[in-house]
Amino acid sequence: MLIAAFVALQFLIPLTYLTREDAADERFTWRSLDPPAAPSCETSASLERFDGQSEAISVEKLIHQDWVDYVGQGRRAVVDAFLRKQCEAEGVMQVELVNRCDGERGTRAYNLRCGGERAHETVRTATR
Amino acid sequence: MKPLERYWFGDVALARPYLVLRFVLGLLAFDTWLNMMPHGSKYGVGAFNVAHFPWFDTFVPSSAFYLGVLAFTGVLALSQALYRPHRIAIVLIAAGYTLGWSCSLLDSVPYHYLLSLYLLCFVFFPMLSARAAFSRSDRAPRGSVAAYVLFCVTTAIMYFYVAAWSAAEGQSYWLPMACCVAYLIASMQDRAELPALRMAAPLLAAAPVAFHLLAPQQGWLPIYMIGIALVVFAPTQWLHSFGRTLTRPARRLVEERSEGGIDERASQVFYLSLLGLVVAPMVSMFVDMPGVKTGCTLTAIAMLFVMGRQLYFTPRWRPLWRVASLFGGCLALWITVTASNARFDYYHEGAVDADRRGDHDAAMMFREKADRYAP
Repeated sequence: MLIAAFVALQFLIPLTYLTREDAADERFTWRSLDPPAAPSCETSASLERFDGQSEAISVEKLIHQDWVDYVGQGRRAVVDAFLRKQCEAEGVMQVELVNRCDGERGTRAYNLRCGGERAHETVRTATR
Repeated sequence: MKPLERYWFGDVALARPYLVLRFVLGLLAFDTWLNMMPHGSKYGVGAFNVAHFPWFDTFVPSSAFYLGVLAFTGVLALSQALYRPHRIAIVLIAAGYTLGWSCSLLDSVPYHYLLSLYLLCFVFFPMLSARAAFSRSDRAPRGSVAAYVLFCVTTAIMYFYVAAWSAAEGQSYWLPMACCVAYLIASMQDRAELPALRMAAPLLAAAPVAFHLLAPQQGWLPIYMIGIALVVFAPTQWLHSFGRTLTRPARRLVEERSEGGIDERASQVFYLSLLGLVVAPMVSMFVDMPGVKTGCTLTAIAMLFVMGRQLYFTPRWRPLWRVASLFGGCLALWITVTASNARFDYYHEGAVDADRRGDHDAAMMFREKADRYAP
């Protein structure tokens, strides 16, 4: 019984990729034994305070380069966590992160109104 | 027995689970020290982290935590590879290793998940002594080891999905699919009623060996998988002879005749073992990386827990061999870290990232150490 459950679980976990919203998230799927090449993106972020002031955020100064790469790839879990973290500062109303990527991904903006869990994603342009 | 029961509970040569367990544990120890520890400085930067699983999300692992977990896992793994493994120790290794990669997306190496699955299988492996796995006679001991079959099936599932996703993308998939089929049938090769399979199985090793030599992969995955393939597919007699040669010195030294009762050696063994448990983690003081001392101390505590009653109530030398294996693990960690670039890479990576973030104090601290340990 335990064996059957363990085997069934191993079969089912990779299939969860088909239901994942984030296509870049290939964990536990065996889609590749080598990490896929990350798209080259330029990331910028800004926050808006309740008093209406806008402020640029230097992403590279706040987190490790590996997280910057994840944010640049648009990994939703990391983008959402990063934006939520910026909301922890006092007086922040909303945070926006923009990834300008080469190739198919185009420009993607993630906007989080503080207090929310998930950022709203907008594809602004695509070079397709 | 029904065919399915025969598949899972049929005989396998005991040399296979014995060697696979030790090979993976030994390699895992050096893998954690040489390939994972150098990246430890990424952890805790900016108090930001995203874990693999949501229940970890509020936890931000620091460098010291990450390195401590890796030191604990590696030393315990190597000590179990060196001397007869204990189930509790394997549970702790599986938990430590899984905690190590799963606490952060910074470690997204696909095969670390595979190793966690393997370690879970190992928990149910028979904890064989060299004498049990390699008898003195020329006949290789056999027995039913469902967990070993599960290990082979786990490997087959991994290859199946590699093949399936390749097929879905229109790429060549026959080689990983051949690996999948090979692992599904390899666990049956030691059965007396299947002599033809016994003859053919060693040839099947060509599929995983070729796949891991040709396909691009991260880290030490090819070393793990080629080593595993050689153990899983090798002819029983070759494996038996190899295992006997490999374990001969250990069998002579460690395996003693069973003696009943507690004799006067018991108290000597007790005090020597306790002394060893206190002294072994002290080796880690020379490693000079955050968290490593704590990790090694926890390994000694884990070893004390593993030995339990055995520490005092056995008149044999077994507790001393366990402590010696812990000593071996701590020494190997120290030698590996000092003889390789692992420590330099850790401090160098930390300095580069701290510089980039404008954290000059941290950069100076990292740079000082990087300069000290520069190759």
